[in-house]
Amino acid sequence: MLKYAFRRILGMIPMLFLISIVVFTLAKLMPGDSFSGEIDPTKTNPQYIAEMREKLGYNDPLPQQYFRWIGKFVEGDFGKSTRYKIKVSEVISEKLPNTLLLGFSSIIITYILAFFMGLYSGRKPYTVADNLIGGLNYLGLSIPSFIAGVFAIFLFSFTLGWFPSNGSIDIGMTEGTFEYWLSRLHHVFLPAVVLGLLSTASYTQFLRNDIIENSRKDFVRTARAKGTTEKKIYNVHILRNSIIPLITFLGFDLVAIISGAIITETIFTYPGLGQLFLQSVGTRDYPVLMTLTMLFSFLTLIGNLLADILYGVVDPRIRLD
Amino acid sequence: MKKRSMLMLAALMLVLSAFLAACSGGGEKANTKDKEKDKPSSGETADKVQDGGTLVYALDSAPEGKFNFSFLGNVTDEEVVDFFDENLIKFDDKLKPQPHIASWTTDDNKVYKFEIKKGVKWHNGDELSVKDWEFALKVVADKDYEGPRFENVVNIEGAQDYHDGKATEISGIKVDDDYHIQITFDKARVNNLENLHTYPMNRNAFKGIAVKDMMASETVRTKPVGLGPFKVAKIVPGESVEMERFDEYFGGKPHMDKVVIKVIDPSLSVGELKNGTLDMTSFHPSIIDQVKALDNVEAVTYPGLSYYYVGFRLGTWDGSKNVMNEQKYQNVKLREAMYYAINREEWVKAFFFGVGKPVNRPVPTNHWIAADNKDLEQFEYNPEKAKQLLDEAGYKDIDGDGFREDPNGKKFVVNFSHYATQNPTFESRAKALTQYWEEVGLKTKLTMTDANLYYDMLEKADKSMEVFFGGWSTGADPDPTALWSSKALWNYPRWVNADSDKFLSDAIDMDVVGTDADKRKQLYVDWQKLFMKELPALPIAELEETMAVSKRVQGVTFDVSGKNRPNEWWIKQ
Repeated sequence: MLKYAFRRILGMIPMLFLISIVVFTLAKLMPGDSFSGEIDPTKTNPQYIAEMREKLGYNDPLPQQYFRWIGKFVEGDFGKSTRYKIKVSEVISEKLPNTLLLGFSSIIITYILAFFMGLYSGRKPYTVADNLIGGLNYLGLSIPSFIAGVFAIFLFSFTLGWFPSNGSIDIGMTEGTFEYWLSRLHHVFLPAVVLGLLSTASYTQFLRNDIIENSRKDFVRTARAKGTTEKKIYNVHILRNSIIPLITFLGFDLVAIISGAIITETIFTYPGLGQLFLQSVGTRDYPVLMTLTMLFSFLTLIGNLLADILYGVVDPRIRLD
Repeated sequence: MKKRSMLMLAALMLVLSAFLAACSGGGEKANTKDKEKDKPSSGETADKVQDGGTLVYALDSAPEGKFNFSFLGNVTDEEVVDFFDENLIKFDDKLKPQPHIASWTTDDNKVYKFEIKKGVKWHNGDELSVKDWEFALKVVADKDYEGPRFENVVNIEGAQDYHDGKATEISGIKVDDDYHIQITFDKARVNNLENLHTYPMNRNAFKGIAVKDMMASETVRTKPVGLGPFKVAKIVPGESVEMERFDEYFGGKPHMDKVVIKVIDPSLSVGELKNGTLDMTSFHPSIIDQVKALDNVEAVTYPGLSYYYVGFRLGTWDGSKNVMNEQKYQNVKLREAMYYAINREEWVKAFFFGVGKPVNRPVPTNHWIAADNKDLEQFEYNPEKAKQLLDEAGYKDIDGDGFREDPNGKKFVVNFSHYATQNPTFESRAKALTQYWEEVGLKTKLTMTDANLYYDMLEKADKSMEVFFGGWSTGADPDPTALWSSKALWNYPRWVNADSDKFLSDAIDMDVVGTDADKRKQLYVDWQKLFMKELPALPIAELEETMAVSKRVQGVTFDVSGKNRPNEWWIKQ
């Protein structure tokens, strides 16, 4: 197992290197640069823009720009955001906690909901309640998150007034107090639910179908014949088998947590990485854009690895060599 | 199996309809609730100023966090800084500079003597000194300075030398004492003052910070020190700013206790306004009807300073100046015909939601240099005249396909381009223009180009952009040289005209106009007449600014220079 993980991690290095080339080339292929959207005759003049372009090295040949960037990147210097004029690592670390909170809350909500709904539906398939859950799930699957977000805001923020529609915190709170964290959770709940809607739906159906399938297997019949109680059959025998595929999703969810939810964060004006990513594309903030893309790629690779390893851990039948 | 899936479908429909019903039902309820809440308060008007209360102000996108007039680069940051910092001079409703904290005298428009009020306090308790201003000017002129303001300092004598490291002081700045400073420009100009950077920086707050680190420093980002009516209490970067009343504000103690500035996605602002959780925000004209429909909010429009135009590519940029060497649109009659063909009245009404009007000159109507409409050719919608002009110019339909060919009998296609953003009205308004031209027989091909690269492609004279849509917003200084002189990079039509250059340079030449504003205006009027005769671009429309203000917020006034200072605002409790 260790050997396998080690080999995979080594294999990532050339992969990341190739990704960095692609990311850089694609970023530079985007037409325009960070100044082309900012022309304002009253505030800037052409000389200033030309000077800044020269200063930032936009006029150098591409390979030279690439090696300068990757060289610094490897050393841990991600550069300076052209938009915020502060270090990229600072920009990202400003938003990262918000995104982590949103991602984890969303995953926790997803798993809890999916677990209970899936378990219930799987045990009592084709009943009214199962069909209701199924109906809700297909609704969740079919409504795109931007629609769900807008509806959720309309219903729970504007009409009922239960949750705030924007931001991550009430500005009046003192950091570190209990109210402060409460306010953060209050702000994160709605976007987290909307973000988790799709995966809740698919996980529920996944779990349900797996339970149904397992309940028809021979070992269940054997257990029944032995006289094991239904409760024990479902909660121990079947659940253990059915939970396996769900656990492996965790690896992929890791990426989802960090990469944030571009659309959900934008709708809820929630300042996280997703929103940052979108803005950095719009304003051609190359350093932020490329660092984020590299970060996401890296996490995807790690997530895949984690998923593979988890397979091996939860299911001894699968061997990793 | 089939039966079951039908059942599923029915269940789904049921759930869906229940969901929708819940939404609309809730919406109505909220409506009535709001009306009830508002009734008593709207009854009592004309009451006297009340102190206290918190104003919630929304920004439509996240600020960049450069919260200092010397560093900020976009309007969002400026909206925030405006609450807590102060310009030394102000502009009246004619956009003429007026004394504010500083007053000035000058004999020749080259040497200015400034005097600032005594006892003006910074938020950290320091008294404002002209040395703070000198400090700001030196920061902006520093070689390590990366903000966009050097433009507003470079005209000071010796600033360029200081920037290049040839001098250790800016020779044009002379501090007499804490309240008097003398600034000498490299030459006399009519608009030296309008273009000057008149924002001081607190020397103590920036003490020990190297110029290149300033923009990323706490003093700019999260703990700014200003002179304005409110002082920053807390900043959550990219999300919200909390400000408290600054009792020692030089313009009088503010009425409101607090101001909270939040970033709210524009799609939410109507709902927030309706709920009363938001008091003030600027908004995009496309939602003006929704804002107007709210009982508790007033949709304020006030004169703006921007205009839109359709430009023709007449030449190219050779690296330092414009050269008029493109033949396709050189014929003035063709350009006039394309102007007559556009029904601007109808077009503006359809796409500017009642907050725009047609404009007849490359200067917004509210600017004091704007020529009176009666002095200018009106170019009212007249397709017949357009056709006649095209016939005269030799653009005739020879091959009978319904579209005109050029005078040499070759196919003629207007390659028109417009910038594209998420705004869905842009494509339809561009399309509408192409239809006007096709109606008079000019085949038109429309290209929508991403806004980020639009001006870049214009600069590089892309093939699809022979005719292009553009817009400019102008500042307090009316001088259009940066946009329309033959040496201006942003003169995208690449229009070269000796008379135009002469008018523009005369209008800011002290030897010609001196300090006589009327004389200056006359030159600009003549220039506008020339522009409208030559038509290197067709001015199309100008737009008013739009702002939503909750009815509980009182004392807010608007004019062409913007809002009044927030210390005069108050909240009805």
